[in-house]
Amino acid sequence: MDLRLTKFTKRFGDVTVIDKMDLTVRSGEMMALLGPSGCGKSTTLFAICGIHKMDGGTLHFGEEEVTRLPAQQRPVGVVFQNYALYPHMTVAQNIAFPLRVQRKTRSEITDEVGRMAELVQISNLLDRRPAQLSGGQQQRVALARAMVRKPDVLLLDEPLANLDAKLRLEMRSEIRRIQRETGITAILVTHDQVEAMSMCDRIALMKDGGIVQLDTPMGMYTDPADKFVAGFLGNPPISFVQAQSGDSLDLGHGLRIARPDGLQARGEITLGIRPEHVGPQFGTGLEGEIVFVEPQGREELVDIRLASGAELRAILPSGTGHALGQRVDWGVDAKRILAFSPEGARL
Amino acid sequence: MRVRLLGIGFLAPALVAVSLFFLLPVLLTAVFSFTNMSTSTGISGGEYLIIETDLRDLPAQGVSAETVVQLDAAGYAITEVGLARMAAAFGADRAQELREDYFGDTFEARRDLERLLRDLDNNPIRNTRERKAAADLFAVTIVGERYDTEAAFRDALSDTGIDPSDHDALVTAAYTGWIWTSDNFSLLFELPSTLRYALNTAFYVVCTLAFNITFGLFLAISTFYLPLKLANVFRSIWFLPRILPPVMYVLMWNWFTWDNGFIATVTGWFGVPQQNWMMQTPTHAWTVIILINGFVGASLGMILFSSAIKAIPLPMLYASEVDGANRWQQVRYIILPQMRWPILFLTCYQTLSLLTSFEYILLATDGGPGSTTEVWALAAYHTALSNYGGNLQYGLGAAFALILVVIGIVLSALYLRFFNFKELVAKPRIEQ
Repeated sequence: MDLRLTKFTKRFGDVTVIDKMDLTVRSGEMMALLGPSGCGKSTTLFAICGIHKMDGGTLHFGEEEVTRLPAQQRPVGVVFQNYALYPHMTVAQNIAFPLRVQRKTRSEITDEVGRMAELVQISNLLDRRPAQLSGGQQQRVALARAMVRKPDVLLLDEPLANLDAKLRLEMRSEIRRIQRETGITAILVTHDQVEAMSMCDRIALMKDGGIVQLDTPMGMYTDPADKFVAGFLGNPPISFVQAQSGDSLDLGHGLRIARPDGLQARGEITLGIRPEHVGPQFGTGLEGEIVFVEPQGREELVDIRLASGAELRAILPSGTGHALGQRVDWGVDAKRILAFSPEGARL
Repeated sequence: MRVRLLGIGFLAPALVAVSLFFLLPVLLTAVFSFTNMSTSTGISGGEYLIIETDLRDLPAQGVSAETVVQLDAAGYAITEVGLARMAAAFGADRAQELREDYFGDTFEARRDLERLLRDLDNNPIRNTRERKAAADLFAVTIVGERYDTEAAFRDALSDTGIDPSDHDALVTAAYTGWIWTSDNFSLLFELPSTLRYALNTAFYVVCTLAFNITFGLFLAISTFYLPLKLANVFRSIWFLPRILPPVMYVLMWNWFTWDNGFIATVTGWFGVPQQNWMMQTPTHAWTVIILINGFVGASLGMILFSSAIKAIPLPMLYASEVDGANRWQQVRYIILPQMRWPILFLTCYQTLSLLTSFEYILLATDGGPGSTTEVWALAAYHTALSNYGGNLQYGLGAAFALILVVIGIVLSALYLRFFNFKELVAKPRIEQ
């Protein structure tokens, strides 16, 4: 079932945190609300599930308007950041709770709980209490509880933030698997771009209470709308260097590189260069000194400082033997250079 | 060693406070409860005195009937003591003559001795008034006489010629000071009123507790769902009973329930005859007492329960809402189960404080009507410190109190065990 948020406005006291935001999530799609802390992504999620009242705008699930429905009556399931499991109930009772308050029969509840436990693979833990579970197991219980009512929309609020790195990887694919299997429409709130890119069909990147760009993960990565988006996506992050755009791009102190095709702008611009587009394999032209080397196993990160003082980051296969202080002359993949105006707009 | 001293140093104020305000009072209560101290015995030592009205009770205390008759009828005798007094008051020559002719004689009536004095050979006493005074010098009765020590009393008994086998019983009967005894406790178990006080106390504690907890929970939960400012206003209002001085608080209840007070006036408009809504019947009295104490306890419960509810993580309440639980289901399934420990704690705490509290009852009904609302602690107070008859029975009152102390200590020990105190102070029960 698709979800349409139209001209959504939210105020806390006198402060308008979200102003006339539009968002459409297609049926069966997993959408990420990505952004730094305080951008309004959790507020949006709480408004969609009905915990926060909307101060303006409408919300539709499919054809039905739910703007004024209380949280209890909205067909949503929510997984909270801390899972919010009920500590005094067993796993089975936790999962059964949404059905219990609907006064479903006992056998119906048992069947549904068994089915959900199987889906999230915790059938052997049903008699435990939340305190006896690991973080990943609690996460699965929270997922099962959110989905046992067969909601139209699944909302996930930073579901992986409290897990260690290994569990996070596991749960990332697990949540995606469950979402695909059930075909549910889902919204994932996260500040972690890796999570958003790896799990979701589309990403809505938010900043200061508004959506900056809405695109597929790869679309957003290769074709960012502005400097903020380019800087937010990518790990290790993109490097920005100042340049003077003329017949060629002048990086200062005699360094020049060729103009990318299709770049119209002239004058002062900012170039965005991703680490994988810098290195010896792209020819020469960028002379500098290595100021930082970080081996990461399969790859290593190398920062070079240009004569102008600007730093560029490169990601190279490891074992190339680069050392601090070494002078290098590398090139850049000119087709992939991103250019921004001084105000940050994409050129 | 130094570290240990430092620890003891830090503990010292607590130790001093515990000793002064708990151990010492308990010790004194225990000491007093094994005495028969009262207003009539005083709290220092006593004297030896048998008065006219004691004579009737003496046979019950093992004194033979002859001795009682002897004490009652004891008259006058010519003894060394009397002669010495005689010599001092009426001259040595008269005393000498009495010694020579009549030493050891006894007279049942003063008239006989007076005749003798009138007929003395040399220098008889002619003035009737002087003669009466002189005869009194030879009075040998111990009834009405005060003796400071046991030895003096025994000497007097010997002088009077009382059968020595009765001396011990008489000494016991004559002593006016306090003595060590366990009679207080046997008396407590014999008196039918004791059972009445115990039942009153149980009724009072159970009903007040039930009201406290239920109403405290109701206030805490209902204010939790109110907007913050309004909730604070309500909480402050409901906290008034606790911070008002008890005298003022109960005085307001008196105004409220008197036969020309608020309730009587309002019900009067509807034709209900004016009556005292506090003291009309025992039911009225109990209702008012439970309400008075209940509101005080409920305000404490409200504060405690409110903070316990606030300790429940907000996302958990959000989760229950998106899970479809309405307000009532949220309270029933999410909030109340997590209030188990605060409720249990308050129950235990309030049991102990209600067992020993009597000030509100004292101020409101003073145990009345009759003694229908007299609870154990109030009975202890009345017996020891505010007896209607005027004879304050410190010893019996202390026995009342000591039983309460023992119950309190046993209950506290049970609670500490039950609550697993170590676990309580270790970690909050609600995680995340």
